[in-house]
Amino acid sequence: MRLPKFEHVQPSSREEASRLLAEYGSRAQLVAGGTDLYPRMKYGLTRPDVLISLKGLSTTPPTVDPNGDLRIDALMPLADLARSQMVLEKAPLLSEAALSVASNQIRHMGTLGGNLCQENRCFYYNQTHTFQFIEPCFKRNGDQCYLIPKGKKCWAVFPSDTAPALISLGVSATILGPKESRQLPLENLYTGDPLKPLAISDGEVLTDVLLPSADSLRGTAFVKFTLRGGMEYAAFSIAVVLDMENDGILCRAARITVGSVGARPIRAGKGENAMAGQRLSKTLFQEVAKRVATEANPFPHHGYSAAYLRACLEVEARRSLTQAAEQIT
Amino acid sequence: MKKIIELSVNGESAEFLVEPQETLLEVLRDHMGLTGTKEGCGTGECGSCTVLVGDRPILSCLTPAVECHKQDIITIEGIGEGNDLSPVQQAFVDCGAIQCGFCTPGMVLSTEVLLKENPNPQEKDIYKALEGNLCRCTGYNKIIEAVHKASKQMVAEQE
Repeated sequence: MRLPKFEHVQPSSREEASRLLAEYGSRAQLVAGGTDLYPRMKYGLTRPDVLISLKGLSTTPPTVDPNGDLRIDALMPLADLARSQMVLEKAPLLSEAALSVASNQIRHMGTLGGNLCQENRCFYYNQTHTFQFIEPCFKRNGDQCYLIPKGKKCWAVFPSDTAPALISLGVSATILGPKESRQLPLENLYTGDPLKPLAISDGEVLTDVLLPSADSLRGTAFVKFTLRGGMEYAAFSIAVVLDMENDGILCRAARITVGSVGARPIRAGKGENAMAGQRLSKTLFQEVAKRVATEANPFPHHGYSAAYLRACLEVEARRSLTQAAEQIT
Repeated sequence: MKKIIELSVNGESAEFLVEPQETLLEVLRDHMGLTGTKEGCGTGECGSCTVLVGDRPILSCLTPAVECHKQDIITIEGIGEGNDLSPVQQAFVDCGAIQCGFCTPGMVLSTEVLLKENPNPQEKDIYKALEGNLCRCTGYNKIIEAVHKASKQMVAEQE
């Protein structure tokens, strides 16, 4: 398969990349590892005239800010992230999530920023459309959906594995614009619109993520649910962070995020509220898991039915809560 | 617009005039005639186009050649010396881990990287390292066996 023609620009800094991106506007596309973009270009789903490549830029290893926050460069390859000793100590949840992404080669090429800014995908959209599904769907500016034939909207899911983990960890993202940079909670980066999943405008670049330090006893768990267990997009992924009171008995706050089952990663707010101030127990986990599954309300995707996903999600949510709780005691 | 790039492939440097959309795979196969690197799916799923760029296993079908300017690249032709096979290649032959052989260059390179980082891998480490290499004929048992064998031999050689 050949790539379509494009012009290749290699800026020498992130600031220059942002300036170029603003200058070229919608003609240009930012690319880092390219493992999400190039296949889509080969399939003919997207055809940017100009590619602004971040590949030549140097990467800063994760650093701890004076206040204890961990700053991670968005250009860090996922493989490096997964084996970084500092990330492993500060946020084992993130290491695990990074290690669960695709294959070894893709983890070496793909970056954290790319994983967080990837396109939504669907069974029918992500392939060539030369001889099948030729009539465009919503995501190709058409007016139909192949997944839900009478559907009135696009049902493509956001498949990132690291996003749920980072959202559960309460990470904020730094977005560099042509004029100024801004900071926003990572969950606000996602619009929930499958046709435009990211809340960033022309000329903006995700430069790094800031992970606040844990100030209490903490248990975490990450589960990526797949059929084969390797080189696969998640049926769903679930990231759980339990922050405990100092006595280690009552739960101060819980953060539960479910990925790959909707147009954006879904925070299970009702489940989280049911955990706050409670003593951890099997019955509590069972109750919360039920709420998480209902709240996530999975989209059917990649051949999984909504009912199947909901049933599995309930089981895995209970297991991951138990696993997180086991780390505390 | 075409660009001039300099690549060091298997220790030999050369300059190429390439279009931005030409992938590293196309340069290796079409410009250099190094056809050991295979094109399988072309979209990063199968791993048969794996090459090493500065010790990292990457997919050459998803890497524009212009992004590899001044990089050290090792393809399957750079593994082993002349007709002497590397321990990994020999283990693949001995275990019958090859049928049609199309996935083998990628498998061997992924294994080389794994054994360099972790000379004594557990079964789950091998699964993790080779998850991006698909084989459609032998099944994976003999390949896993070959990796174990290569690992044992390389550890024994070092002692």
